[in-house]
Amino acid sequence: MRIGFIGNLRRGSLLAVLLMACCVVFAQEDSTATAGDSVKLKATAGITLAAADADSADISVNKVPLKFIQKQPYVSVQQMLKGNVAGVYVQEPSGEPGTEQNIFVHGIGAPLLNKKDLFEQQAAVFINGIPLIRENPFAYEVQKFDINRIGPATNLYSILNADNIKSIEVIKDPASLGFLGPMAANGAIWITTENARPGKSTFSVNAYTGVVPAEKVTPLNANYENQFRTPFYDRYATLNDRLRYPAFLRDSTNANYYGPSDWTDLYYKNTPVYAADFSLSGGVERANFRFFGSAMKNASDVDNTSLSRYAGSFFINVAPVKWLMVSSMINFTRLARERNRNIRDRIAEQGYIPDLTNPLTPNKSVYGSYLGEFGKVVDDNISNSIQGYLALSANIGKVNYDGRLAFDYNENMRDAFWPTTLLEGNNFVSAYFGYNQRILLSNTLGYTFDFSPKQSLTIKGGQSVTSDVNKYEYASGFNGPNDFIKINMVNGDPSASDYLIPKGFQVKYYPARMESALVSFFGNAIWKMGDALSFNAIVRRDGSSFMQPDSRWFTSYSGALEWNITEHLLTPGKTLSALKMNASWGRLGKLLSDDRFSGGAIYRVDMGWSGEPAMGSYVGIPGLTRPYTSGWVGYGMPWAYNDKLMVGLNAGLLDNRIQAGVAVYNRDDKQTLLPIPVASEWGYTGVYKPGLVVNNKGLDLSVNASILEERAGKLGWVFNANLNYNRNEVTALPDGLQELVLGTSKLETGKPVDAFWMFENNGIYASDNEVPLNPNTNKPLSYRGMALKAGDPRWTDQNNDYVIDEKDKVLAGNYMPKLSGGFGSTLTYGAFNLDFQFYYVGGRNVLNQYAANRLDFVNVEANNDINSVKEITFWEKKMDLSGYPQYNPWSSVLPYRADQDLFLDNASFLKLRTVSLGYDFSKAKNPSKFFEKFRQSLVYITGTNLLTVTKFKGDDPELADYNGVYTGFGLRMPRSVIVGFRLNF
Amino acid sequence: MLYKLKFVFTAVLFGSLLFSCNKILDKKSSRIADEEGSWQSFENARSGLIGIYGLFRAALADNNAHWMWGELRAGDFRSVSRQDLKAVVDGELTAAYPLLEKVANWRRFYAVINAANVFIERVEGCMADKRYTEAYYKLDIAQARALRAFAYFYMVRIWGDVPFTTSSGDGGNFEALPRTDKNKILSFAEQELIAAADNLPYLYSGSDPEQKFPPNYYGYGQGTWLNAPVTRLAAYALLAHIAAWKGQYTEVVIYTDFIENNFSKSNVSASSVAFITSPSGLFSGDATDNYRQLLGFRFPKNQKETTITGHIEQLALANTVNFAMSKQLPDIYVPKDVIAELFPSAAGNDDRFGYDNRYTPPLLYTTYFENYNAEIPVFKKIRVLDGGTGTGSYAVFNSSIIFTRLEELRLLRAEAYAAIGDDGKALTILNSLRSNRNLKAVSLSENGDVLKDIFDERRRELMGEGWRWYDIVRYNRIRRNDPEFNKLLDNDGIYWPVAQDVLTRNPELKQNTYWK
Repeated sequence: MRIGFIGNLRRGSLLAVLLMACCVVFAQEDSTATAGDSVKLKATAGITLAAADADSADISVNKVPLKFIQKQPYVSVQQMLKGNVAGVYVQEPSGEPGTEQNIFVHGIGAPLLNKKDLFEQQAAVFINGIPLIRENPFAYEVQKFDINRIGPATNLYSILNADNIKSIEVIKDPASLGFLGPMAANGAIWITTENARPGKSTFSVNAYTGVVPAEKVTPLNANYENQFRTPFYDRYATLNDRLRYPAFLRDSTNANYYGPSDWTDLYYKNTPVYAADFSLSGGVERANFRFFGSAMKNASDVDNTSLSRYAGSFFINVAPVKWLMVSSMINFTRLARERNRNIRDRIAEQGYIPDLTNPLTPNKSVYGSYLGEFGKVVDDNISNSIQGYLALSANIGKVNYDGRLAFDYNENMRDAFWPTTLLEGNNFVSAYFGYNQRILLSNTLGYTFDFSPKQSLTIKGGQSVTSDVNKYEYASGFNGPNDFIKINMVNGDPSASDYLIPKGFQVKYYPARMESALVSFFGNAIWKMGDALSFNAIVRRDGSSFMQPDSRWFTSYSGALEWNITEHLLTPGKTLSALKMNASWGRLGKLLSDDRFSGGAIYRVDMGWSGEPAMGSYVGIPGLTRPYTSGWVGYGMPWAYNDKLMVGLNAGLLDNRIQAGVAVYNRDDKQTLLPIPVASEWGYTGVYKPGLVVNNKGLDLSVNASILEERAGKLGWVFNANLNYNRNEVTALPDGLQELVLGTSKLETGKPVDAFWMFENNGIYASDNEVPLNPNTNKPLSYRGMALKAGDPRWTDQNNDYVIDEKDKVLAGNYMPKLSGGFGSTLTYGAFNLDFQFYYVGGRNVLNQYAANRLDFVNVEANNDINSVKEITFWEKKMDLSGYPQYNPWSSVLPYRADQDLFLDNASFLKLRTVSLGYDFSKAKNPSKFFEKFRQSLVYITGTNLLTVTKFKGDDPELADYNGVYTGFGLRMPRSVIVGFRLNF
Repeated sequence: MLYKLKFVFTAVLFGSLLFSCNKILDKKSSRIADEEGSWQSFENARSGLIGIYGLFRAALADNNAHWMWGELRAGDFRSVSRQDLKAVVDGELTAAYPLLEKVANWRRFYAVINAANVFIERVEGCMADKRYTEAYYKLDIAQARALRAFAYFYMVRIWGDVPFTTSSGDGGNFEALPRTDKNKILSFAEQELIAAADNLPYLYSGSDPEQKFPPNYYGYGQGTWLNAPVTRLAAYALLAHIAAWKGQYTEVVIYTDFIENNFSKSNVSASSVAFITSPSGLFSGDATDNYRQLLGFRFPKNQKETTITGHIEQLALANTVNFAMSKQLPDIYVPKDVIAELFPSAAGNDDRFGYDNRYTPPLLYTTYFENYNAEIPVFKKIRVLDGGTGTGSYAVFNSSIIFTRLEELRLLRAEAYAAIGDDGKALTILNSLRSNRNLKAVSLSENGDVLKDIFDERRRELMGEGWRWYDIVRYNRIRRNDPEFNKLLDNDGIYWPVAQDVLTRNPELKQNTYWK
């Protein structure tokens, strides 16, 4: 399979290279022959976004301010977006470089119950019009724990270098999204890279280097933990409980645990970061090129983690004849990740929970010798990513043609080996190879009717085919012969009796492959009435192979109206220099991520259980049944879609010195599939039904104000700010249900889709007679029949039936923020500039499972499961736990269960994300001859992640999982200080 | 002319890139099988049947539920420090621990039942494949019916009245079913097993003079199948147990007599203690001649079915002097006083566990337990690590979940004779088993309570095999001399509460009265 594919790719790329070579030859001939002849066309990506773009050239509120980003050591698209555009919310659950981060535009259209949902709710990222393919979540099906995806789990949106980007725009308006099709239904991040340009050859070099200083934390030793637990033992423990006092705390003379806690020196370290890139471009009108190359290492001070990136891009634009432009791009990136050494992440992959009774010690020498064992570890995580296209743009009179053949391919490899010393005398090896491949072919033909000099109508029609393959092969093995043989050796002789039979390791092998295709036809009409009014309408029909044959096609339509009020009604004055209104509406089909719905009623391998999800046989014979665990899939599954409305007003004041944009939106996600719980007596965990409707409504606000104009010898001040307010609500559930319990979550119409479902906590019963008695039965308030006692929590009995059970849980809080955005300023004085950026999130909660687990030490330790893992950061004071009531941790009502509002924390915060000070030599008063050659010659120093203001008691409110659970396992976000320069000439 | 050419060029470009799109959109999933092409072939039938067995194993293995239901409650094991297991032992079955809610959920049994119902309704289609003969069809249907009956019986033991259906409800509206009286369900199970038994062989791929059953069943030999599929003997074993659960001991006598007379036809034989406790013995799933698992579910290592969960070893094993494991303390253990009470052998004459005072220091027979001298002994009767070759450092297990074996059925036979008043016959059976364990015979004149002796022997013999709770229930149903337990019997307290999730999903259901 793999060979076949590479063969295909090779053939494809050979074709592309040949074509490019032809173009170059063509161009060379042409450029000599027709020098000076003007060409009407610009470099093309084979797709032109509709004109009714919410951003017009003069007022730009939906673009990321790249001039800041280019001085910051951020590596992923998500990090570049964070806090920079209204309406985009980025989750960064761990500060570990290169790990997955999530992008949401204007809220979520369905609850995030597991990582698959996360896949279906995120915005799409386009690079030069190519929608990037993502890792499909189907790999989670063979995993016991979905903490990390198997494989390198690298953030594939880390492939872009800010210096190679011309613009990052967030597309939120329904009309433009409608033009982009179903992949963009959740919003689009539209990235345009720098491209080749005709004219003087340019060369630029940018570089920075810096350090991530070691975080200063408060280390703890066993004495602290002992003192923390003692009151619980004094108050509630039985003799038997005391006898089971954990071994690592029992002996206060044990210097390993009770001695000095100096592990932090080995865990938090000053770490260098660096990056360098250069670009070269040149050529003439008819043929030009650009090359970009970069190398970068992004690192964290935590646990020796880092991400290295090597990237190169090559662009050629050729106009073989005046009316035809041929453009091409090849963008190659290699990402290598040094991952954390968390025990939890490791045993989650191994699927084997060792005895966790004794944690790592806070003692440096013992911890150091443990880390020494990592010398035997292999943990290679490589991702290669390549994007490219060959695009044509032809312009013959009023006829326009855009076409492209584009591909996005990434392959992800991981080799892991952990020696016997790290896992109870067993070693573990795993190998992963996976690729995601997208081939896209699209054609657009347009014709413009000019009715009068002012009125025109452009009609476009087009078609596209997107073909995706997601594939992985994963093998893992336990118990190899020794720690020196780190691979699984097999006999490769097909005639041998032990052909490919593993020796030494016990190997489990999981291959999976999924193919999909999306075929689209669309029509687009743009009617322009001068500069004052334009109307844009799009109709498209998309067919997805993931849909059932009878509902394979979906018609989306959208339209936009743009009204330039200043042009139409007012004369542009100095005070009100520009005023534009736009309104757009669209109905956009949404794609599924999984091929298991396309066949209707299905059979699959479902012989596993929670401890062994991938069990595929019984006495070695494979079996197929209905999909009891994943849920019944019936027929008549319609496309999910969303209806979006957005109305915006953009204004420019004082000669556009102050630009402001405000937009209100309403988004209804409809017919979303949901596994509805049905009577268990049919064996299914749920039945997939469409009918979930989630409404998001909100407001985007952006301001960009030049408060003090930049003038020689004067202070200049530009202020920018953006804000998004969003609230969501479940407006309908499938089958007309009013409420629905899905595992540990509940959906209720009229309530937020991202609420936590929990008990209301009102303190503690200090004695048994404080527990209220049911006047009818004279029995005390109970937890499902077991009377509450002294030391149990006071949970509100919502339905007053004197029984605390699920019916008393309420929906509270929300894990998506109500308010998010950023603000900052640029101050300039002569050649100096200083800028700073704040990022804030408000009206968001997290569930503090970290605190719950620390307090529930009795059960967490006894259960010896994945939640019982104590990382080395167990010995770090992440939060003060003294504010919690002192319940009886041995009580069978689970007093420290996480699903109560005791652990619902306000996770609003304000962060000073970056401060940057620069000096631009080319702007200096008397630039020396040397610097006159440069268009830009800037040196700067930037600090990131400098300050956090929050009420949250844990280490960082951002470090919560996608579903708002703060576990304390996320690595701290690195602070960094870099110095760099940017040279353009 | 040139202008025209340009148009042609553009048109060709555009046209060449349009092609049949519905063909592109027909992508067959490689990960699932859809309705089209299902139930048409020999292989379809095999997959469907094996699927039922796989689901059944999953139902018992998930959360080690087989032992939660059968072994822990009021049994001989105690929890070391896990509060959730302690709650099960103490019978606090509505405690807040997530484990209890999971174990109280019966969905996995209904997955077995639904898979069996789908199979029974649909497998006829496979006869379109010439290889899927009438003989295969009859045998497979009989197995599916027997498995369905087994699942219902297993559930009735745990929850009493449960909803009942023999329809797959495929594509239906998944209606909420009310509970059906447990006796009706047990009667159904009995009829089904009686009907199925005739169509079940004593051995799969075995010698078959009648030529009734398919030879080389699904292409696998006798050594692969062993007694993994339901045999005629297993059907009778189930019938005996259903009758015992209903208290109809005359029927138990009939069924167990049948088993006693026919067990050798299934190659079943009695096991010595050495064989029971050997890592490659009774509980091993890899031996190709281990027919002694009369009805059970295997986890053969050679077939990559090694798992961590689904074995009592996960709960009961820990490091001992003789067997180094990383886990220092087990989750559950049998306290020393209970061991002493159960194995009161002063002269070390029980093969399973003994304490021979004739030596100083006293000599320990550690077949069932190790670390007897420590505070927490380790129950190691079942210890099949890593295919039986494991050294203990790598805690993955292959022990089978054995529902019943010959000793168990012989004890049931003795129980039945005792229950119908034939103490002499009961004693003969009991003493023959005792002598196999190197225990001296008991006599009527000695203590006169044969029934108690039988149940005590069950307690020793079947420790850790998921029988203890059901034995307590049957014993008390016969005796009714424990007022506390009578309350449980009369108020349906012997049954588990139904999981909240199950109740939420089905409005027709109410919590068992005892647990309200």
